[in-house]
Amino acid sequence: MKQPPILSSGLLASVSVAGALCLVPFAVANTFQLRVVMLFLIYALVALGLNLLVGLVSLVSLGQAGLYALGAYTVAILATKAGAGFLTAMLGAIAVTAIAGVALAYPTVRVRGVYLAVVTIAFGLIVQNVAIDWRALTGGTLGISNIPRINLGAGPLSTRDLYWLIAAVTFAGFLIHHNLMHSRIGRAMRAVAQSETAARALGIDPIRQRVLAFVLSSVFAGVAGGLYAYLNRYVNPDTFSFSDSIRFLLMVILGGAGTSFGPLLGAGILTWIPNLLQAFGKWQLFAYGALLALVIFFLPKGIAGSVHDLWMKLRHRRSQTIREAGSWPRPSSEIDALLRVEAKIRGPVLQTRELSIRFGGLAAVSGVTLDIERASVHAIIGPNGAGKTTMLNALSGFYPPTEGSVTLLQDEVGGRASDRIARSGLTRTFQNTELFSSMTVEENVLIGFHARSTTGFLATLFRAPSFYRESRQQRQRAALLLDYVGLSAYRDETAGNLAFGHQRRLEIARALAMSPEILLLDEPAAGLTHSEIDELIALIRDLKRLGLTVVLVEHHVDMIMAVSDHVTVLDYGEVIASGSPSSVRDDPKVIEAYFGASLGPAGVSA
Amino acid sequence: MTAFIQYTLSGLVIGGLYAIVALGFFIMWSAVRAVNFAHGDTLMLGSVLSVVLMWSGVPLLIGIPLAILATAAFGLFIERIAVRPLNHGPSSIGWMLSTIAIGLMLEAFVTVTFGADPRSLPSPLMTTPIAIGGAGIFPHELLVPVVALALLGLLDWFYRATMTGRAMRAIAQKPVAAGLMGIDVRRMALLSFAAAAALGAFAGILAAPIIQVSAAMGLLLGLKGFLVAIIAGMSNARGIVIVGFAYGVLERFIEGLANTSLREVLGFGIMILLLLAFPNGLFGKREVNKV
Repeated sequence: MKQPPILSSGLLASVSVAGALCLVPFAVANTFQLRVVMLFLIYALVALGLNLLVGLVSLVSLGQAGLYALGAYTVAILATKAGAGFLTAMLGAIAVTAIAGVALAYPTVRVRGVYLAVVTIAFGLIVQNVAIDWRALTGGTLGISNIPRINLGAGPLSTRDLYWLIAAVTFAGFLIHHNLMHSRIGRAMRAVAQSETAARALGIDPIRQRVLAFVLSSVFAGVAGGLYAYLNRYVNPDTFSFSDSIRFLLMVILGGAGTSFGPLLGAGILTWIPNLLQAFGKWQLFAYGALLALVIFFLPKGIAGSVHDLWMKLRHRRSQTIREAGSWPRPSSEIDALLRVEAKIRGPVLQTRELSIRFGGLAAVSGVTLDIERASVHAIIGPNGAGKTTMLNALSGFYPPTEGSVTLLQDEVGGRASDRIARSGLTRTFQNTELFSSMTVEENVLIGFHARSTTGFLATLFRAPSFYRESRQQRQRAALLLDYVGLSAYRDETAGNLAFGHQRRLEIARALAMSPEILLLDEPAAGLTHSEIDELIALIRDLKRLGLTVVLVEHHVDMIMAVSDHVTVLDYGEVIASGSPSSVRDDPKVIEAYFGASLGPAGVSA
Repeated sequence: MTAFIQYTLSGLVIGGLYAIVALGFFIMWSAVRAVNFAHGDTLMLGSVLSVVLMWSGVPLLIGIPLAILATAAFGLFIERIAVRPLNHGPSSIGWMLSTIAIGLMLEAFVTVTFGADPRSLPSPLMTTPIAIGGAGIFPHELLVPVVALALLGLLDWFYRATMTGRAMRAIAQKPVAAGLMGIDVRRMALLSFAAAAALGAFAGILAAPIIQVSAAMGLLLGLKGFLVAIIAGMSNARGIVIVGFAYGVLERFIEGLANTSLREVLGFGIMILLLLAFPNGLFGKREVNKV
């Protein structure tokens, strides 16, 4: 198997950045220029952090200058008033900004991302107000001066040594940023931004990912602020206004949100551009606004993103091949080993008791009691509006039950968050396939592994051997699953470009990546051709053979009769019949529910 | 006691202003699940235009409607240029950035041309204060909360009783279905941004005799209006007006009992804590995510 491309591109990127950083002291003419480069590195650190937020989870912070100020003031205060050394002061800045990050993100990202943007503006103003008004601590508008030089034990650092220190920290920041972006954590974050629903169904907690991204971006800003305090040896409130927050955001957008190099580019341009903008005089702020507008309208992916797109387009043109999907399912001993479910408990795997879901006064599901047996195919059918999809949503935790209980593997899960239910072994597909459509086919499947991954956060950031081992293993398994559903040829294709039937296959492969015990399929046959439906039937049978339990909501009667062990019929949210496919088919109540009057058994097969 | 009445009265004045600004956010959010982040600057535009027109010798009775109309046109422009092309679903951020960019340009433009120095608009009702329970207040100031309540009534009536209002509610709930029913979703979006901008301009002009008109006046008013709308739950006009009043009164009490410099810190802090306790807002319903 060839080397994963991410590794080599990452290596190339880090070597070139490190090389450039090493050349700088020899390329600059004087200390002043070296200080400008240091300022650039500090801005770059803020921008790298902010990119984790904007580029991965698609949230916006308009208060990054506030967090930057928080780091700078923490270091300034600890160093001047408490005599703290470099490491203590920096750890203080990290702790304070991480706490601020949680306090700002957790209340705001649960309902809507926009809230974070608004609250961070307020936070930036709070920090500036406190810096001005709490004179005893912050020195008011005069600020704090005489911040000591860094002393690591061998006397105060010279400007050039300070450069090496700042360069090392920013380089570490770049590596962490790059590693996070190209890891399961970065993938999970992007997944949350693209489809919160699908991410939840795959066991990813969106709130956790968003809070994590914001805390990381806060800490990056805090560390950068601390370095700024040591570089400038003086902090005052003027440096940290709302327009500085906008400038940090502009760095990310201009450079290219979601790319490894974008933040560096953006920070570079905006460090040196003010000299150009001097020419605009009073119109400088206007120029920033105009630049932001220009980028959003004409270069929405930023410089790095646009260059990358162009490169991909050129490469794609060269390697245009005709691909065909394979037939599916394609069982193999490896797939069997991957998906086989061993019975750990006796009795039904999924049960409801008197389950009701009401929206306002309307009961979509009322008093439903179900027992779903292990390794069976259980179909839920009924006319339109009978409450089938509501039922699936209740089983998978997307709707909390109004009354009654849902028991999964002998565990009461009613009201539990859908991502937790998914991690307990139940996952699902959606009526209108919910793929992460701008990610590749392979990435979609890899996200399915996220919740089952064991490599920790730090091992991922610092690329411990376990990270490589697990990444390799997951890529192999993803290849197996793609082969199982016959999509191997499309591994690197963008998921949104797949044909509809192939999207359905991919969604199933992605769900299987979670190694679920129970798989809920919401109208999997809708929009498929006859031969595709036959293949789907074969797949469901194969999953049953492997010990999976399949719950099926479907309209396609032939398919239900062919594949189900048990059929439950809903009408107006209530169970009107339940039993073997043939007994349900002949039930007069079922026939009446479908046709309004008795037509005889022959009518149902329509 | 007199002090308490004074705080409450002047709190209702500034709170009424927050409420009107927040209603603007509410109108835009209801229509397209996106807002003009530069709503504060839109308000400033209305305010500044009315002052500029007055200087140019245009009588206030003509100048004020002109300023409101011009600002409404600006709202149309924002929706068409900055929001519609960049608003694709719940996690798109383009509309946020583009409206911020336009706000930044507008504020910078006004700072340069109008000057950074604050100015004021005269009002015949700002000459003699009236006394209520020992507290003094200008009649013009009392207008603000009254207008806020009247606007709430008007909005309520509009959304309930008029065809356009019902169409807007339908769009807020199910844009695709509303479109299929023959409602012109795009026109409604334009209309709501124009209405919100006009409302913002109106608030700015109403406030002009009380607070100073300057290029920077929009930032804090816009931010607080947005926070009020969020804390109220974004989708409940009555709740928004209640929270607006409450926030204004809270601010005045903080200033009076503690310290003016604590106003923003405590005010924003309390708002964040409220959001922690009520993620869907005080009056918001939990939105069931239909999947």
